[in-house]
Amino acid sequence: MTRCLFSNKLENCVTLWRSAGYSVIGPVRKDATSSYAAVEHAADFDLGMVLPDRSIKELFFPQTEPMLHYTIKQQAINTEEFTPPAGKRIIFGVRPCDASGLSIDDPLFGWDYKDEYWFQRRNESVIVTIACTKADDFCLCTSLKLAPDSTNGSDILLRPLENNNGWQVEELTERGREAFSAIAELLQEASEPTAPLAVVPEMFNLDTCVAWLQNPENFESKFWKDISMRCIGCGSCTYLCPTCHCFDIQDEGDTYSGIRRKNWDSCSFALFTMHTSGHNPRSTQSARWRQRIMHKFNYFPGKFSVNSCSGCGRCTRQCPVDMGITETLQKISTLHP
Amino acid sequence: MITQEKYRSKAKKLLAEGSVKMVIGYSPGSTPDRRRPVFIRSFDEADQLVLDSNCIANLSGYLVSEGLLSDEKHVAIFLRPDGIRSINILAAESQLNVDQIIIFGFDTNGNEVRALTGEHAGEFSEFIGSIKEHPPEKSRDPLLYQIEQMNPQERFAFWKDEFSRCIKCYACRQACPMCYCRRCIVDSNQPQWINTSSHTLGNFEWNVVRAFHLAGRCVGCGNCDRACPVNIPLRLINSRMAEEVLDSFDHFAGLNPAQEPVLASFKKDDSETFIL
Repeated sequence: MTRCLFSNKLENCVTLWRSAGYSVIGPVRKDATSSYAAVEHAADFDLGMVLPDRSIKELFFPQTEPMLHYTIKQQAINTEEFTPPAGKRIIFGVRPCDASGLSIDDPLFGWDYKDEYWFQRRNESVIVTIACTKADDFCLCTSLKLAPDSTNGSDILLRPLENNNGWQVEELTERGREAFSAIAELLQEASEPTAPLAVVPEMFNLDTCVAWLQNPENFESKFWKDISMRCIGCGSCTYLCPTCHCFDIQDEGDTYSGIRRKNWDSCSFALFTMHTSGHNPRSTQSARWRQRIMHKFNYFPGKFSVNSCSGCGRCTRQCPVDMGITETLQKISTLHP
Repeated sequence: MITQEKYRSKAKKLLAEGSVKMVIGYSPGSTPDRRRPVFIRSFDEADQLVLDSNCIANLSGYLVSEGLLSDEKHVAIFLRPDGIRSINILAAESQLNVDQIIIFGFDTNGNEVRALTGEHAGEFSEFIGSIKEHPPEKSRDPLLYQIEQMNPQERFAFWKDEFSRCIKCYACRQACPMCYCRRCIVDSNQPQWINTSSHTLGNFEWNVVRAFHLAGRCVGCGNCDRACPVNIPLRLINSRMAEEVLDSFDHFAGLNPAQEPVLASFKKDDSETFIL
């Protein structure tokens, strides 16, 4: 017997959570695109999709965020800092790759400077992950040594029942237990079997790829030019990626007042590394694509002991020219180290 | 398949005899219905080329990538009629020399792919003229009629909602063959003319500026629309602007390589006196 949450109780869950002071967020399809967004009712969730088009990162690291407001009046400069929004929230129906993405970025945002905006939201969010029972051609979690039921970054893991009528509940953290104690009356002990997990074939051997990337001789390999020739530098891969975390700080306003903002930025853009002098150390698209791959599988793990990719596959899925991490690493895995 | 074989052997012939240094075409993608751009440089590689109804992307933007045509060698490229129109505009705007381009023209009708007659940009002018005179039926998006019925407030609300998803990745720009500027106005940061933030103002600034820059230049290839990772219906804006330019100036972008750019040329008999 294990504790189960049945789908017909989901609406009551949402109500109870909301009355306990949580805002409730989950996968939602609106207009022509899908994302994790706030819901009022369980019926607003779309739990059938493989994963939302947009990753979970924007709930923790929005594409634009005010940092401070400034005013300048007769030599006097006043600044007023924005504090990160407070409020407990439950993010329901997260995919394991998205949840893993959050745990990958935690050490980055807490490394030399603790990013309050990130951690305030992390501490107030309960990640309720649902293990995947279906995958598409682009999913690659297993190639990254993760799985359709990885628990990294999750507070609760729900395993879908075979009859598709609910989930087995695994509480992973204190935060998860607290959120689920609010709905304890709705959980039932049951012995229903769980549905088989999605089959995600391994697309490449990660260790082989990492060894190739770590060999300094390969930095100037012709491979980079060949693989990225069709890259149009659009940056969609980085913006949809649950782990890409680069940002730029911009002041918007005039001489008298304005707002300092933190905006997403991307290593795919030429401007990203452009120096004031006009010199650009990454002057070609191939150098930029190499940086993205090197960062994810060489530099980032070198610093934080974890790859900066959770295998969601959004980069390839949405690429207008059908590139992505899968193809690049598949090809690297066939090269001589 | 017949057209594919025809162009494969043509590619092999041109590469073998050294008449072109590269063939830009399509190869199989990561799923059965995906095609990806491919750059064929030798006879042996030409078997990678595929041509079927899944070959949708307008590849002409690659021709203006830095340095590709600067050696004055020839390049062959697979293009649909809209792609040929793009080449004509790029030529008219002095971005490339059409004599360097060998066109593998094709058109699709359902699953059927047929080869177009001609090899150089100018040879397609009559065909493109016929598209101007007889636009294909059902080519106008039904949503455009709905938007035209809206009052200004409703229309503003519609676009505000659509643009609210914009993440300022500029994929629309990067995918567009007409966006060849070495430095886009949004990349100009001293001063920062256009906000980089993706808030309401920033998103309107970007999308409206782009619409104006494409007026009289967009051929409706749909590259921007397909590239948009958040599925903003960008085609509606640009095709509406194209209609406006056609109505006002009888200008159908990309008719031939010598066609004057409508918003970048000046006529002495212009009815608008304020310009002088």
